[in-house]
Amino acid sequence: MDDTWIPSACSLCYNQCGILVHRKDGVVVKIEGNPESPLGMGRLCPKGLAGIMHLYDPHRINVPLKRTNPVKEMHADPGWQEISWEEALALITEKLGRIRQEDPRKLVYAGCIPSLAPLNFGMGIFMPAFGSSNVFVSNGHQCGNAEHLLAATLHAALTTNPDLEHCNYLLVFGSHCGTAAYYALTTMAQRMADARDRGMKLVVVDPMLNASAEKADEWVPIKPGTDGALALALLNVLLNELGICDAAYLREHTNAPYLIGPEGTYLRDPLSGRPMVWDLSAGRAKAFDDPSLEEPALEGTFSVEGVEGRPAFSLLKTHVARYTPELAEQITTVPATTIRRIAREFGEAARVGSTIVIDGKVLPYRPAAVVYFKGAHGHNHAWLTSLAIELLCEVVGASNVPGGLLGCNPVCYGHPDTGLPRWVPRADADGLLLPGLWFGGSEPGFSNTLYPPPEPRRPQWLHLQDLLPTALTSHLPILTIQDPERFGLGYTPEVLINYGSNLLMSVGNPETTAEALKKLYVISFNLWLDETTAFADLVLPDASYLERLDPSPNTHIHHFPVGTGEWGWQIRQPVVPPKAERRHFSEVLLEIAERLGMAGDVYSVMNHFYALKPPYRLDPSRRYSWEELADRIYKNYFGPDRGLDWFKAHGVLRWPKRVEEAYWKPFIKARVPIYFEWMTAVGERVEKIRQELGLHELDTADFRPLPDWKPCAALLTEKPGYDLQAVYYRVAWHSFSMTYENPWLDEISAAADPYSYFVSINAATARARGIRDGDWIWVESAGAGRVKGRARLVEGIHPAVVGIANNGGHWAPGMPVARGKGVFFEALLPLNLRALDPVTITMDADAKVRVYKA
Amino acid sequence: MARYGMVIDLKRCVGCYGCVIACKAEHVTRPGVMWARVLKAESGTYPAVRRLSLPLLCMQCRDPACLPVCPTGATVQREDGVVVIDRELCIGCRYCMQACPYGARYFNDGADTYFPGLPTPYEQSGDDRHPSGVVEKCDFCLARVERGLEPACVANCMTKARVFGDLDDPESDISRLIRRKAGFQLNPEFGTDPCVYYLPP
Repeated sequence: MDDTWIPSACSLCYNQCGILVHRKDGVVVKIEGNPESPLGMGRLCPKGLAGIMHLYDPHRINVPLKRTNPVKEMHADPGWQEISWEEALALITEKLGRIRQEDPRKLVYAGCIPSLAPLNFGMGIFMPAFGSSNVFVSNGHQCGNAEHLLAATLHAALTTNPDLEHCNYLLVFGSHCGTAAYYALTTMAQRMADARDRGMKLVVVDPMLNASAEKADEWVPIKPGTDGALALALLNVLLNELGICDAAYLREHTNAPYLIGPEGTYLRDPLSGRPMVWDLSAGRAKAFDDPSLEEPALEGTFSVEGVEGRPAFSLLKTHVARYTPELAEQITTVPATTIRRIAREFGEAARVGSTIVIDGKVLPYRPAAVVYFKGAHGHNHAWLTSLAIELLCEVVGASNVPGGLLGCNPVCYGHPDTGLPRWVPRADADGLLLPGLWFGGSEPGFSNTLYPPPEPRRPQWLHLQDLLPTALTSHLPILTIQDPERFGLGYTPEVLINYGSNLLMSVGNPETTAEALKKLYVISFNLWLDETTAFADLVLPDASYLERLDPSPNTHIHHFPVGTGEWGWQIRQPVVPPKAERRHFSEVLLEIAERLGMAGDVYSVMNHFYALKPPYRLDPSRRYSWEELADRIYKNYFGPDRGLDWFKAHGVLRWPKRVEEAYWKPFIKARVPIYFEWMTAVGERVEKIRQELGLHELDTADFRPLPDWKPCAALLTEKPGYDLQAVYYRVAWHSFSMTYENPWLDEISAAADPYSYFVSINAATARARGIRDGDWIWVESAGAGRVKGRARLVEGIHPAVVGIANNGGHWAPGMPVARGKGVFFEALLPLNLRALDPVTITMDADAKVRVYKA
Repeated sequence: MARYGMVIDLKRCVGCYGCVIACKAEHVTRPGVMWARVLKAESGTYPAVRRLSLPLLCMQCRDPACLPVCPTGATVQREDGVVVIDRELCIGCRYCMQACPYGARYFNDGADTYFPGLPTPYEQSGDDRHPSGVVEKCDFCLARVERGLEPACVANCMTKARVFGDLDDPESDISRLIRRKAGFQLNPEFGTDPCVYYLPP
């Protein structure tokens, strides 16, 4: 009798928590958290628990399908015809073989974040091997692009999380950290509860009182798109009214003392080219790393060879002075007295100058942190806003030390047995921080980090990240596919490989996305016939996360918990064989590569991606099965005794984190910028190309070294009657729009939760419009579509805001559980270059709307 | 003999409904049946407003209102205090549902499966556990407890908001938490003396 528990990894959001799957007589009967995994430590969110209904959804696709209706329309029946895998693969090989010869750039790839490992196999391995960098992530615009840029430059990491084990004061800007979403949720939720239990004060800045603010000691309602103004006022009060900052930290670990000349650039040592600082003891300028340097100035104006220079910190301090709490009150609706109080509380909680002993090491102790996400930076001045928020931690030294904001695991000295995997940040010639690991590859230099930024170039890729090199992901292919000539691309994209992403529902107004999809031959790997497959030419039945092998579910350790605790490397393994003709996307890509004669190229890229060394380095002339590849990846990192079989049996390999890894700041000599000197030059170059291309709507003014606040596109929208702002929020039981098809999770929203399938509106605002609780209403965007939903009158929302959970409103017949459930938020978002932050390719994810009874 | 009880810390709970799904996954309950529930409500007016998530389950009352009204003796209280329903004896009259002031009981009317007309292999695996025409409810996961495990909602709660244990043991975690953090029963005025306690938000 089959009765077994199998360790694996979830894949119902980007976190990939450790799971144990109970299989009895071939049937999955329970999914629990794996207590051995640092990700979740035995506890799961509702999505992870509900994976059974994901696996056994009878509406999943079982066979390859070919389109027979040439007309591609949003509600047109594609006329699916069942075909064999052989026929499907022959079609794909013919298409891809031809365009690889003509111009590999004609191949476009889109994937979805929850299936992180296969997404990356396509994006980071198959596509580079094919020769096309035309990749994008469908949910990309809901990603933390602005946070990623700051995480890279200030934390040497992809993402950040606060050190809840030591933090005493947490200021949250538009995030559900530790309550409903965000990195390492299942672990962070435990830590958040512990932190609050021991008295950490939680202050949540958010237009809505939802999961995050529900747990807050103080909810600070704010007008959407104005978090930057609040952060700047807090900075101003800290620096100019209270005089709170960590001068020692700023001198030693940031570019605060670097002298900035009249042009806004570093004054450099004429001999070494190094940025200079002013040594107060010596009364002259010296290179920042001059061993004789004694007392670097943080304030003042100094003359160096006749050129006036001011320390970067001095510029910051002067710059933020204009953001008085009174001005911020007008912008944000947060009272000036509240702003002053929070600044004082935060500044005092940071305990500048204090230390703590952990594992025998004396470390700076700064138990005050910020955490911020889409609520704050989901607007088209994302860079300027995020910088303002991050600098709150930097000026008090609460960065990568106990109690502060931590990069998600930027330092790894490897497993004790092998010293692998290993990545360590370092400093560049200017003394500034360079990440040791970047998204995807583990071999340094494999993929472009955001700093130092590659020179902006005339675009050759649809995502425009060559033109806008400080962005991690991009949703812009939706625009460039439609008019490549306008962007100077010089070729026309032809084929899209879509890995499970529901593009039509996840990149703003679907009418715009539909136009892009019509232009391409779409090969789509899917679990269901969703809205996007209405535009597909070929649909292939994908294996779900419980039916497939992924050797590195977290793509190294992305989304692992920060701070102390354990490292862990997981496996995702099939707990049941794929039903019917479903196949694992990554394995199919390998077969396609083989048929195209490019398997060797794939192996070469894998050698780089996983830093495979002999004897595990792949031989491009040989052929390997998916299991053999997995085995080599494991053994390469963890030695010959810990191959695929070991991971299948044990699920996760853990080892303790060292204090030098968790809190790297005191141990690694690399400064972080509080003044992004290089940003202006990037902007000037982008501006030049923008003018050459005639991309008039693209505003390059935000490539600036210091934070600022500007109204986002929604706030600037003036249209009579459109007097509210629509925002979205996240709940713990849904991921984007995918999980609406899960009947257990649907039942929570439909039958238990009072808010998530409704449009939340302030009770007084609603009554003034004659709207009662439960009424059907239209939410109509000034710049895009309109959506219908039922009104939920609440007190816990800013009076000028309507709030919509996640992204619902599916209409595809192939997702009958999800169909018509919840509200389709994305439809409200106009997709254009005007509502875009070019520094981070962040679109304004709120909309000016009018609301009226349906 | 132990007196089983549970403490739910409202300060820790984030209202994620994980308990609802953990329970469902453990017991293969039918659509519409939630042995574990969460209520949400606001208090106050903007901007001085709070929201509370209140997890509910069978309170396993010391003086259960559901027990005396059962005409067949299907509802019984075990020595450890857990109130259970004998499916063989239950005739589905639903008096107990009327009597329970906490709305903890559900009548299994043989509702359809989660994908209407298309039962999943998982649901089929639990068919024999949910005969239609009888009342069902939370039993503190006795089958797990007897194997030395915590109830499913306790074991999974991602904020560790739930503690299960022996109320009669003054040194148990649960007894100490109730004393130390001013644990309270929900609506004590109902007079049923619940064994589920709450810690203030």
